[in-house]
Amino acid sequence: MNQHQTVGIVMIEDDEGHARLIEKNIRRAGILNDIKHFTDGTTALDFLFNAVDGPAKSGPAMILLDLNLPDMSGTDILARIKAEGSPLKRTPVVVLTTTDDKVEIERCYDLGCNVYITKPVNYESFAQAIRQLGLFLSVIQVPDAE
Amino acid sequence: MVRVRLNLPSSEGRVARWLVAFMTLGFVALAAAAIAIGWITVRNRTYTAEILHTQDVRQAVATLHSQMEQSETARRGYILTGMPLFSAAYARSAGNLAPSIATLRRLTADNPAQIARLDLIEPRFVRLRALRAQSMALAASGRIAEAQRRFAVDASVPLMRGIRYRLQAMAADEVRLLAIRSARQQQTSALFLSVAGLAAALLLVVAILAILVIRRYTADLATSRDSLRDLNETLEEQVTERTADLSRANEEIQRFAYIVSHDLRSPLVNVMGFTAELSTAAGPLAELVDRAEAEAPHILTEDARLAAREDLPEAIGFIRTSTQKMDRLINAILKLSREGRRTIAPEPVDLAQMVDTIIGSIQHVIDDRGAVVRVERPIPAVVTDRLALEQILSNLIENATKYLKPGRPGEIVVTGHKERNRVILSVIDNGRGIDPRDHQRVFDLFRRSGAQDQPGEGIGLAHVRALAYRLGGTIDVQSTLGDGATFRLNLPTELSIQDIKA
Repeated sequence: MNQHQTVGIVMIEDDEGHARLIEKNIRRAGILNDIKHFTDGTTALDFLFNAVDGPAKSGPAMILLDLNLPDMSGTDILARIKAEGSPLKRTPVVVLTTTDDKVEIERCYDLGCNVYITKPVNYESFAQAIRQLGLFLSVIQVPDAE
Repeated sequence: MVRVRLNLPSSEGRVARWLVAFMTLGFVALAAAAIAIGWITVRNRTYTAEILHTQDVRQAVATLHSQMEQSETARRGYILTGMPLFSAAYARSAGNLAPSIATLRRLTADNPAQIARLDLIEPRFVRLRALRAQSMALAASGRIAEAQRRFAVDASVPLMRGIRYRLQAMAADEVRLLAIRSARQQQTSALFLSVAGLAAALLLVVAILAILVIRRYTADLATSRDSLRDLNETLEEQVTERTADLSRANEEIQRFAYIVSHDLRSPLVNVMGFTAELSTAAGPLAELVDRAEAEAPHILTEDARLAAREDLPEAIGFIRTSTQKMDRLINAILKLSREGRRTIAPEPVDLAQMVDTIIGSIQHVIDDRGAVVRVERPIPAVVTDRLALEQILSNLIENATKYLKPGRPGEIVVTGHKERNRVILSVIDNGRGIDPRDHQRVFDLFRRSGAQDQPGEGIGLAHVRALAYRLGGTIDVQSTLGDGATFRLNLPTELSIQDIKA
């Protein structure tokens, strides 16, 4: 896991409770990477593209993205990240949201999302899903920022 | 909102009443005129006959008069000249006298005044004839002088004067009668003319009124037709507009349901998540209480023990069951809204076969519940969305086997028949029935009826109704409590794309 220590996790999630539950369960899976949490799209995008310590400027990252945000839709953020010429084009994006609408899922994959996970309402399933995500995060290779 | 007022029926009725009234009036007038004219004609004929009769009488009087004068002239000529020519002329004209008198008597038989005159004239003629015969006989025997002498003194001249006077009276009487009768005839003719004129005028008036009424009626009809046509022309537009409105409203509701259920899910994840966290956290606490009880009972209060062992698990348990139920409800709404957004694809469906398939797929449930499901063939064919109809029917059949009356084996019959361009499918059970109060309610989301002794959230029938509407159909239930229920699904035989959009 040491080789992944530098990979920061950017969590864009407007619900504090969800964020906390996600973080708890990721930690329980043994992932110790730094998790940066944003509750709205604007500041999240600003961090992703412009912050000195943000993924675009330094270091690889992976993004956990909720689709229901107060100021913009998660798919807008996804489109920005995966847009042609974006420095974060290859950054893995995990969409983690309550929406299980078929059309929405298709749209996200079309836009280039790497993993789409529906938050199960049942907490056991939720915890399980996040832990499995954590395990997944521990093994995937993340490309360096360009 | 377009309101079109068609006062056709009332106007039609009024016009018809007027028409009938005019026609009746016209016919009555015609009949009256015909009767009057007939009567007048008969009267006229009588008068004409009377006038002719009078003329005949006058003619007869004149004939008698001239025969008397002719015979006298002939007698005098004979007495003066003794020429046999006069004797022959006398014989000819004197012989006609008696028949002429008879004729006159016959003609005036109806007139006592004339008969009285004739009665006076006739004896005079008899005497005249005798005198004439005497003088003619004298002349014939050559005693012309004696005949002439006798002629000068005999009574024939005064007799003839008397006869002449009375014949003139008779003629005058007939002239008087003629005047009266002519006047009467003229009167009748005038009456005839005026009656005919009146009838003609009446007919004209009736005809004009009838034409006016008919024209108004026609105008009314034309107006109605125009407004109908206008209505017809705008109808399509209105329907399209309404349909669009409805679809918009429907979409709005679907979207609303979707968003609401989604947004409700988010906090629910927190509630359930942190409840689980709480439950996990309660574990070490309970252990701590156990240890404290074992190692240092004095630090443990009764409240703390209760809180850790009973209150906390109980509270967490209630929160869990409630949130789980809420999750199911939200999922139901989501499912409904999702169903509403599914694309409907009409195709020919063999209903009997579909019902068989459904029965087959839930056969074990049916058997467990001790019910029998039977399909009454034939069931008419229908073109509709297979999946939606399958869901409707399996819901209805499943429900029928679910709510049985205790102690009565379930018997469910599925029938179908065609009514014009609709197919009515019935699922008839002998179960516990539904209180008529709840007949509408059972189709509402989360609403159930009767004893709540079966699992379920009150979603099935709401789903069924939503699907039925989507298939351009309706669903209703007929039932009395304790006596079974009949769910009737009314579907178009052929679901068209237009129906779906509506």
